[in-house]
Amino acid sequence: MKKLNLIILFSTLVIASLLLAACGGGGTQTSPSATGTDAPRPVTLRVLVHQNPPMVEFMQAFNERFRAKYPNVTINMSVVNANDLSTVTQTRLTARDIDVIDIFGFSNAAQPYMRNVDPPNWQTLIEAGLLMDLTGQPFVSNYDEATINDAGSYNGKVYAINLGRVTYSGMFVNLELLEKVGVSVPTTWSELVAACEKIKAAGYSCMTAGGADGWPIFVGTYGLLGAMYPDQEALVEGLWTGTIKWNDAKTLELWKRFQYFATQMLEDGVTGLSHDAAPARFAAGDVAMMPTGNWQGPALEDAAPSFAWTYIPFPGSDNPADNQYLFGKYDQGWAIASDSPNQDVALNYLAMFSEPDNYQAFIDAVGFIPTQPTATLDSQLGRAVKPYLENFRVGYEQYWVSPKGAGQWANGSQGAAWFRPFNQWTDPVALANQAQADLQAGLDANR
Amino acid sequence: MNHNLFGRGFSKYTPLLLLLPGFLLYVIIALGPSLATGVYSFTNATGIRGAPVEWVGFDNYREFLFQGAVSRDNIAATIRTLRFSFIVTTVQFVLGLFMAMLLNQKLRGKTLFRTLFFMPVILGVAIQGLMWQLFLLPRGGPVAQTLSWFGMRSEFLGGQPNEAFAWVIVVQIWANVGITMVIFLAGLQTIPDELYEAARIDGASGWGLFRNITWPLLTPSVNTNFLLNIIGSLQAWQLFLVLTGYKNGTQVLGYLVFAQGFGQTSGSVSSAFRQGFAAAASIVLFFLVLIIGMTAQYIVNRREKRIMG
Repeated sequence: MKKLNLIILFSTLVIASLLLAACGGGGTQTSPSATGTDAPRPVTLRVLVHQNPPMVEFMQAFNERFRAKYPNVTINMSVVNANDLSTVTQTRLTARDIDVIDIFGFSNAAQPYMRNVDPPNWQTLIEAGLLMDLTGQPFVSNYDEATINDAGSYNGKVYAINLGRVTYSGMFVNLELLEKVGVSVPTTWSELVAACEKIKAAGYSCMTAGGADGWPIFVGTYGLLGAMYPDQEALVEGLWTGTIKWNDAKTLELWKRFQYFATQMLEDGVTGLSHDAAPARFAAGDVAMMPTGNWQGPALEDAAPSFAWTYIPFPGSDNPADNQYLFGKYDQGWAIASDSPNQDVALNYLAMFSEPDNYQAFIDAVGFIPTQPTATLDSQLGRAVKPYLENFRVGYEQYWVSPKGAGQWANGSQGAAWFRPFNQWTDPVALANQAQADLQAGLDANR
Repeated sequence: MNHNLFGRGFSKYTPLLLLLPGFLLYVIIALGPSLATGVYSFTNATGIRGAPVEWVGFDNYREFLFQGAVSRDNIAATIRTLRFSFIVTTVQFVLGLFMAMLLNQKLRGKTLFRTLFFMPVILGVAIQGLMWQLFLLPRGGPVAQTLSWFGMRSEFLGGQPNEAFAWVIVVQIWANVGITMVIFLAGLQTIPDELYEAARIDGASGWGLFRNITWPLLTPSVNTNFLLNIIGSLQAWQLFLVLTGYKNGTQVLGYLVFAQGFGQTSGSVSSAFRQGFAAAASIVLFFLVLIIGMTAQYIVNRREKRIMG
């Protein structure tokens, strides 16, 4: 009996030890140690990217090319929804389970006039020492200086290379449908309203958007916001300092247009249309316009619409000069985990990606506005946006940070998505007052 | 006489040692993180490895409960959580009992129906959500099509908060009623047929049989389901994430914890991870579950003692 007990006791301790050992820390070393020969060690490079079908397709092809050049490298690429990218980045960096990270352009930094706000996620990652310093790496100089400074640097050091700008304040236009209905491409808000009325009267839909994901509804109106407030950084500062209010006379007009957009311009049922499915809906040919980001261009080309189309800034103002801007952000970038055991391979990966030919192929695939000076966006979309690129501006949502204590309606830029049928509001004046009250509550709480 | 199966001396501690791995597992994956959450709720932790963590006292609780307009939204989310829990618990309980009684009859194909009713339980939340998103498509979905026959239309999950919230309740009940049904079925099958036969001989039927035999003898299943439904619905949040996203007017406390902890509240990919604040919110949720759960347990225990002795 005693012998049996001792065996049980010993087994228990072994199991407990194994359990504790399994739960213990320690990075995952995916690369076996050197074999003592000259052959390069086999390496598994772990890459994280966000879901964007043309980009993922390009990356799969690029990974094959990288493997052909470095046969000892296996690439394990994970694809996650864009909304989950920061969460997965955090967990995999914490678990030391990632080498190359897809990171959006640095934005939403605390400004001197903002009080008691938390630093953005990317800043915390850098300050925690989790991102590798890329300063001085030869491939960094392939990108334009403004991009490196604005979208990938912090405290004078480079932590990410940004792969492209995107604009989200424009809209795709079905030129043939407009011609059929007898309206020209609208250049002012009044023209847009009149065009929509005529299009609907002819039995077509004026606009569509991927409303099932929520955000495409209000992102579709970033052009409206931009046309009224072309200096978006100043708008954020004005809201924080009180020189601009969500319910002042000028902004009230914005709320009315938000409501008109949500209730009169968008077709019925867009709340069931996902963002990824929207290009196919537009390509069907019976919708005249699709306000969305230019990143939808490649998906639209894949959907092969049988009509001529273009991409124009959303005409949100009655002054055509105000409608010449495209607002947007720095999109995808690359960073490397500072404690990656495969940093040399990760650097080779970024270097090869940054070679002008590969980068051009990437731009051709995803339709980003290039951040390498030698690259061009030579596509139908590229030709459409080219006249406006000199007027590209970083958009409001890249600057906005809500004060702590502000209510859920404080970020008025999302106003279009708060009207019926998407949410509960029917009165633009009441919603404008609520938005300002919610913002003011946060500002007052931090005085 | 030695009553200890494992003998005397050091050997008598063998049962404790056998329990050790399980206890360690519990400490590591349940108790430890729970206690850590309590500590984190007094910090500005981001959950990012290497990021500094500072002690902020009761600031997170103050912000959650009293600061600016956000406290109004948080209290609204708390009330919404209670409303969600009340409706889900009540409907799921009644529906589960009804289905169990129906499928406890001698019916042809009852095994098939039991399987069908239980099937949603084994599906993951993402699949449950996707199914219902397709089912509730405002353009061309089967429900929209049916409504259109009566000249009606709806945006369903993407529409007004109250309507979206109601649909999440429907899906939550659909997804979990199977487990309630199975627990009731197990309880029903422990009630001897002889009791019903004797009661029928005495002239009882229908409602009388249910009130005087089924309901009292189902007490353990009633109590289990009652508590499971309350606690499960108070903590529910995944279906909100999948079906509605972070939509103003639909958030419940559990979702708020996730959204704050992982920077999902603003729509910006750069949002800070506020895991200290999320920990404070989860402690509020914990106390809500504790108070309601313990009150419910007290009531059902008293009832069980009264009925079962």
